[in-house]
Amino acid sequence: MLGKASSSQPGVGFSGSGALSHVYIQYPPLRCSIPGSRGLFYDDGNKLLLLLTSNQVFSWKTVPFAPVVAPTSDSIKKLDTLLVRGAGQRLESILGFFWTDCPTCDIIFVKTSGLDLFSYNSDLKSLHLVETKKFNVSWYVYTHESRLVLLASGMQCKNFTGYQISSAGIIRLPKFDMAMAKSEANSKPVLAAEDIHIVTVYGRIYCLQIDRVAMLLHLYRFYRDAVVQQGSLPIYSSKIAVSVVDNVLLVHQVDAKVVILYDIFADSRAPISAPLPLLFRGFPRVNISSSQLSSKDGESSEAKDLSETEAIIYGDDWIFLVPDLICDVSNGLLWKVHLDLEAISASSSEVSSVLEFLQRRKLEANKAKQLCLAIVRTVILERRPVSMVSRAIDVLVTSYSYSIKTGSYFKGMKAEKTSPSGVPRVSSHGNVVDESTSRVDAFGKSVTHEAAGGMDNESINRSTFSASDSDDNASFEPQKSNSHNLHSLGGKIDTQNLMGAETSSAEVHPSALQSQLLGLGNNPLNANVSEQQESQVTSAAISPDEMYSSVFAIVEEEMTGDSSYLVAIIVEFLRSTNVEKIKVHPNLYVLTIQLLARGERYAEVGLFIINKILEPSKEVALQLLESGRQNFQTRKLGLDMLRQLSLHHDYVLLLVQDGYYLGALRYARKNKVNSVRPSLFLEAAYASNDSQHLAAVLRFFSDFIPDFKNTTDHNTYCRILAEMNSSIAV
Amino acid sequence: MGLSSVTTVNEATKFCIFDLRRGQHEGQELDKILFFFPADLPFPTQLSVIGLSEGLITFTRIFSPEAACEVIEAERHSHVFYEAEPDIWMVMIVEKNKELEAIWRIDALRRVLKEVHSLFVMFHGSIRALLDKEPSGGLIRSHLYSFIMDYLSDFLVGKKLQLPNFRDSLKERGTVQMLTVGREAAIEVQSLVRVLESCAGNSPCYSLVLFRDLLVSTTLCPDDTINLFTYAVLRLTPRVLSSGASSWSYLRKGNTASHAATGSLLATSASVLDQFYASRETFPGGDGNYHIVRPLQHDKWTKGKDGFLVTDIWSAEVGSLVPTTPTIWLQQTEERMHLCAYQHRNLTLVLLIPVTSILNGEQGVSLVKQQLLENASLKMLRVEEKLSKGWGGENAYHVSGYRYLLVDGDRNVSRASPPGKVTTLTKESLVALSKLREEVDREKNRANWDGPGHEKELEVCIRAKNNAWVIAQVTRGKELYMVLEKANETLLYASDAIEKFSNRYCNGVFSLD
Repeated sequence: MLGKASSSQPGVGFSGSGALSHVYIQYPPLRCSIPGSRGLFYDDGNKLLLLLTSNQVFSWKTVPFAPVVAPTSDSIKKLDTLLVRGAGQRLESILGFFWTDCPTCDIIFVKTSGLDLFSYNSDLKSLHLVETKKFNVSWYVYTHESRLVLLASGMQCKNFTGYQISSAGIIRLPKFDMAMAKSEANSKPVLAAEDIHIVTVYGRIYCLQIDRVAMLLHLYRFYRDAVVQQGSLPIYSSKIAVSVVDNVLLVHQVDAKVVILYDIFADSRAPISAPLPLLFRGFPRVNISSSQLSSKDGESSEAKDLSETEAIIYGDDWIFLVPDLICDVSNGLLWKVHLDLEAISASSSEVSSVLEFLQRRKLEANKAKQLCLAIVRTVILERRPVSMVSRAIDVLVTSYSYSIKTGSYFKGMKAEKTSPSGVPRVSSHGNVVDESTSRVDAFGKSVTHEAAGGMDNESINRSTFSASDSDDNASFEPQKSNSHNLHSLGGKIDTQNLMGAETSSAEVHPSALQSQLLGLGNNPLNANVSEQQESQVTSAAISPDEMYSSVFAIVEEEMTGDSSYLVAIIVEFLRSTNVEKIKVHPNLYVLTIQLLARGERYAEVGLFIINKILEPSKEVALQLLESGRQNFQTRKLGLDMLRQLSLHHDYVLLLVQDGYYLGALRYARKNKVNSVRPSLFLEAAYASNDSQHLAAVLRFFSDFIPDFKNTTDHNTYCRILAEMNSSIAV
Repeated sequence: MGLSSVTTVNEATKFCIFDLRRGQHEGQELDKILFFFPADLPFPTQLSVIGLSEGLITFTRIFSPEAACEVIEAERHSHVFYEAEPDIWMVMIVEKNKELEAIWRIDALRRVLKEVHSLFVMFHGSIRALLDKEPSGGLIRSHLYSFIMDYLSDFLVGKKLQLPNFRDSLKERGTVQMLTVGREAAIEVQSLVRVLESCAGNSPCYSLVLFRDLLVSTTLCPDDTINLFTYAVLRLTPRVLSSGASSWSYLRKGNTASHAATGSLLATSASVLDQFYASRETFPGGDGNYHIVRPLQHDKWTKGKDGFLVTDIWSAEVGSLVPTTPTIWLQQTEERMHLCAYQHRNLTLVLLIPVTSILNGEQGVSLVKQQLLENASLKMLRVEEKLSKGWGGENAYHVSGYRYLLVDGDRNVSRASPPGKVTTLTKESLVALSKLREEVDREKNRANWDGPGHEKELEVCIRAKNNAWVIAQVTRGKELYMVLEKANETLLYASDAIEKFSNRYCNGVFSLD
């Protein structure tokens, strides 16, 4: 039913796959095969895929993920020497190294005997040892996303020391052990590096540990001063891979060729839905016609010779990269994992939990938002129990309120205006909007904030949003993006690489700036609702205005029969918004009056108005007057509302229309209303056939309007008055 | 004891209902009489009262066919007329006596007639319908008798009928008193109302929500709301239920003897009536064996364990111990509805379910009740809590320095100074106000004859003998009556006081210019 509703909604290009799957990879992949390749590397700090040949480094930007991005190439001489000099003097074996944005050091070497922290002097091109931390290390795991390095030691390699080395400084995590089930009495399993995954979801850092004996995936959450195990997830495969897409945890059961989705937001560790295969989507035939205009030239011909092997899901050569990439090393392909929000939402009948899930999605916020709207429309049209719809509405309203408080909703609106410039290929932004730009960067930074500041959920998200905000700016301002690179790791790996990055970004900027200007020109500062929906949205939150225009107004047109159900739903919506102190669009009030009046439920209209359930506004007042054609009490409510709103002109006009011309005059004089034509009053007085009243009105205007005596109105009605008096006299 | 008391009542007040279409032939005049109070008055006296009334109606109809006689003001009596249904007239005769507080406002008395008739119709259907059902008249007579006697018992003070007099000038019968609620509570209430509505599936239910004796919400049309509200305040609200046997009406609060007195009055009257009907053989089938439901009987409603109010007034189905659910007629839709009342602390809900929508009788009703408990009990708790929190007490609507009555004629809503505060006014002020209201009533009636849309606008400020300001103001369907005692003597002061009150409590409706 959800599918049906959403497909009926225009403007949302859901390319429903039809296959049962919640996660997919989209053709075409990024092709990263160069003849003479000596190996592929992934720089998760810069989100670059690096390919080494004998004399060159090719690098592909993976963010934003664009299949047709051209690699930049560099010579590799300097990098070589740097590495040799850094490692040569030591006796212990080096397990690895990573760059950091920590203020006290720049590069960290992990050795079997501990950590060596170096600072880098760019003038001398030399490293200086800053600090050494001594302890035994069997192996280590590091992700730039979390800035967390986990060092394993012990017989079973299950004793861990952890450091978070970020721009906020170095934080040492308390030592902790991981749980390992024993298989037999004597054999103790040894933990390997590939059994440990550091994941970042919702700005929180978790560590996932595979326990092959228990067939469980243990979940540890890192706090500043503690490491807490937070449940375990079952696994059904000896080989497990983990991805994170839009804060959803994907546990790939590689042997079983299925993936299980978890949304580790609440305490529940239940999967979002049943295990389903990873889908390969958009095989060439479908693809060419769709959207990749810019990719057409080289790709379409190449597409034909897409070998069978490329389509193999969970191939042996697949390497899962943090957070959401899959590298097919043997074929030189890079895939990005996507969530099929539509399929996920269609697979559950628990409406409010589906909505909660969708509301948390940032990557495809607009799609999530449209799905939410479609779901709500459907449950209303299907006349589900009010209590159930009410819960669904609560979810949306709470989410909106939260997004207002954290500023993400407004941030989304701001991002919309500049969004075209965030996407390098301006020509294609109309169809393929790559949402990942700001998000991934955002998490790179937000994690730092989180670990440094407390673990409070709200503060995490707030810092997340603020971080991504600045990144957005960085992506289209030349100076800023430059400095951004300097501070980040990428610039330091290789200065020439940096130059390359700069030139490549420079290519983007002219068009980006242009489109930014265009964007500003097109969207005035206060962009209205419809424009918001067109452009990129960074939050799935739904404002009351959108609830009106995309739910209530539409549903009202499609619904037939008794309107009381819809009134009940609107009341629940009002209750929800009132709790969250959110203002509702007057049009919704107008609709409520229309619905009640349609059922001739004027007593309720009165109650709704008097108790201010429908807040006063000119729109509401005018609707009351309109509905009051059939019910004069309702009309009076409208008049009273006009007066209370001090809409003097309209009030006086209506008073005259209703024949209260004397009262209208008094009111007009008191409130200095001089925009109503005297002839209206005079006509009304004449119509009442009361010469005294007509005389009074004439006198009023003669006294209070300076030149009234010279007007035709005055002459006409003086004559009429004289006639009336003479006829009485006769 | 009983008889003597009835006799004293006799002299002060008479109340009759008659049908002009009946008894048109000589010797059958008694057929006209459908109800007469006191019942033990000799027939010749009854007939002379009715004859006079009939004569006046016939006479005045010559000049005003649509609205015939309204009142006869004799030297010592006032005759108040009310044509309840076409050709069915109710006449009340009250004695004027300045010493005995017998100073009346005719419209207030007519509203009593109107109220008892409306309530009667709500429970039994129209008088004409019952007459058509049994042309002999026995059925309607027994129904009217028990119903009106039950109704009048609320007006008994000691042994005397105490009809609304000048002391009730700051009250308006036939209006609803509403609780003022904030937006949040109002939304909660509406949320509850929507749930109530959906309890009986797809059939259109109506509901009435009261907090204490004040209306919170209604989905009924104004006339039906008034009737049901009146009944609820008379017999259903927590105050009435808890007051129990000792004093069952706020009119006689603290008067412990009244119940016994009424009992004897009713007993006496009933026996008199029985004798009366027994002696009359002209009424075929008038054997008093009608099954008569007496909805206004006192102390018949109790709160059940499940929170629903129960009564055996409607007796039980044959072979069942479960009392029958009351039914009423809606004026607007002319539909017969089951009446379910639920009470949680100070919150009273009245749910009306169409009889036609419930196929299997009591079983169906209890199913709806179960639905209500399942779907709405949480909301009811919340609403009650919210309203209790916002409740300002008995004197919530007191405005210090003012004694007022505010009537919204469009919505049939009124609000007044609390009764305890009104009693502090002197008799002079109240009499003056009563007279002023009489004048305003007359003006309003005159405006009504001019047809709808000709609403009167008027302002009157009177300096009474005791130097109190007595004020009436009518603006576009809204009326404000006020007494300001111990106030400054200038008219400016009085109009300033109105202005202040109007701006503060009436959204400026009565503000002068």
